[in-house]
Amino acid sequence: MRNLIWMVLACMAPWAMAQSYFGPGETKAVQGSGAKFADALLNMSADQLQCSLHQNRLPADATPSFLAAQKASIQYPKGDKFMGDWQKGGAIFNNLQKANCFSCHFGSPANLGGDVGPSLEKYGLQRGQSEAVQRYTYEVIYNAWSYFPCTVMYRFGVQGLLTPEEIADVVAYLLNPASDFNTKPALGGKR
Amino acid sequence: MRKVVLIPMILAFVGAFFALTQQDQPLDPFEEAMKQREQYLKTFGILPGDLFASQGEELFHTKRGPAGKSLEECDFGLGPGQLEGAYPYLPRYFADDGKVEDLETRIVSCMQRIQGFKPQEINRDDVVALTTFVASKSSKAKMQVVPKHPAELAMYNLGKQLWYTRAGPRDMSCAVCHDDHAGKRVRLSPVMSPQQGLGSEWPAYRFEEDRMYTFENRIQFCYASVGIPAPAFYSEPQIALTTYILAEATKAGHSFQELPFFTR
Ligand code: HEC
Ligand code: HEC
Repeated sequence: MRNLIWMVLACMAPWAMAQSYFGPGETKAVQGSGAKFADALLNMSADQLQCSLHQNRLPADATPSFLAAQKASIQYPKGDKFMGDWQKGGAIFNNLQKANCFSCHFGSPANLGGDVGPSLEKYGLQRGQSEAVQRYTYEVIYNAWSYFPCTVMYRFGVQGLLTPEEIADVVAYLLNPASDFNTKPALGGKR
Repeated sequence: MRKVVLIPMILAFVGAFFALTQQDQPLDPFEEAMKQREQYLKTFGILPGDLFASQGEELFHTKRGPAGKSLEECDFGLGPGQLEGAYPYLPRYFADDGKVEDLETRIVSCMQRIQGFKPQEINRDDVVALTTFVASKSSKAKMQVVPKHPAELAMYNLGKQLWYTRAGPRDMSCAVCHDDHAGKRVRLSPVMSPQQGLGSEWPAYRFEEDRMYTFENRIQFCYASVGIPAPAFYSEPQIALTTYILAEATKAGHSFQELPFFTR
């Protein structure tokens, strides 16, 4: 139910709110730059709008409700099976067009990583495979904003970039001790 | 005219040249660009960007369009035909058409007003070459974008709003990369903030793409790479973002690189 209310609100709000972010003259300027561009910018979702307004630094009093709404958006895989097939997960993690995780994270044995996000080197060996760690990792990938409000990491599940099953495959790639991610050295050596 | 004919030939050749010199272990992108630049100079005796600039120079001085005039009457802010040092002040407000224009938009408006071209008759490749030529007259110059006119301030404010707008399927904004993670790397590519001198490289020849990129091309490239359809050339959002970035870089005291620049 909470989910539903959130979704209805998120669907109704954007137009009115984008109007209040961009003044009338600015809205016209954005519209004059192409229909597709205007569509993307003027249809900001309610949470994107909050991050825009606060320049990615939410005030403390707005944070709890923001986090709760993000948490409510998370859908879980069938039977809460957080760890899928690590080999499939590796193909997703290391695909520039698909998840592109390595562009921001160090630790892949297949691709030299960036350092916009924290290093995930030997993530499964560092964190272990407890239920709590599996759930946390799944939730961060599904909706990074449920832990890190307005962070740069894409909200893979929320935005439909990955399915719950694909996310579970990526969780397995990071956590399974037999995964290449944990058995092979990260490409590029220590950063 | 001879130079102009040579460009497609040389560029076709250098595309293949770049492919051959790609390596397995990636170098630092800056060092890689420097190495490629040296090799172009050694092999051809000239950089591709300079070929575009000389093509632009010919176009600039040629009588063209329905009015049969050259662009020598075009005022880039320092007086008609004054090109030396004009680029660092752009975007700025122009009283003759009542608009804030960046260099590319100014060239287009002069082509319409002076040469009599209709918007649909204006060839993007010509604008890129002309932009490269005019910018080359301000190589290494200090940035001077200080919005003062109300229209310039409005452009700056729109640019700032756009800079912070989170949108699209990856929730991106310019700020979330270029401010919040300045100094970090996306894969191999360093991310810079306006305060660190973002925007000092354009127009530049990008050897990986084998193409000349203007500032507007570069903005389109960042939008496209985060899944947001890019704003049209010469539109207000383009000019606004350019104003915002260069005004912030001006405050921090930055200068342009060697223009046209050579980069990955
Ligand atoms: C655009 C950059 C970016 C991309 C792409 C990205 N991340 Fe992240 N990720 C981050 C950042 C930044 C953080 C840290 C969050 C913060 O503090 O704001 C993070 C945090 C994490 C964490 C939590 C780390 C910890 O120490 O608890 C995990 C796990 C993670 N990312 C996995 C992934 C996976 C898997 C993918 C691909 C499906 C991915 N990331 C794609 C930027 C990115
Ligand atoms: C996902 C992170 C990301 C986002 C979002 C992003 N950029 Fe970039 N941008 C980069 C990276 C990485 C480079 C450097 C590429 C290189 O040097 O090879 C870059 C380069 C640039 C450059 C050229 C670099 C220079 O020195 O002049 C400009 C200009 C630029 N971006 C503007 C923008 C604008 C405007 C936006 C918002 C519409 C934006 N970027 C959004 C990551 C991003």
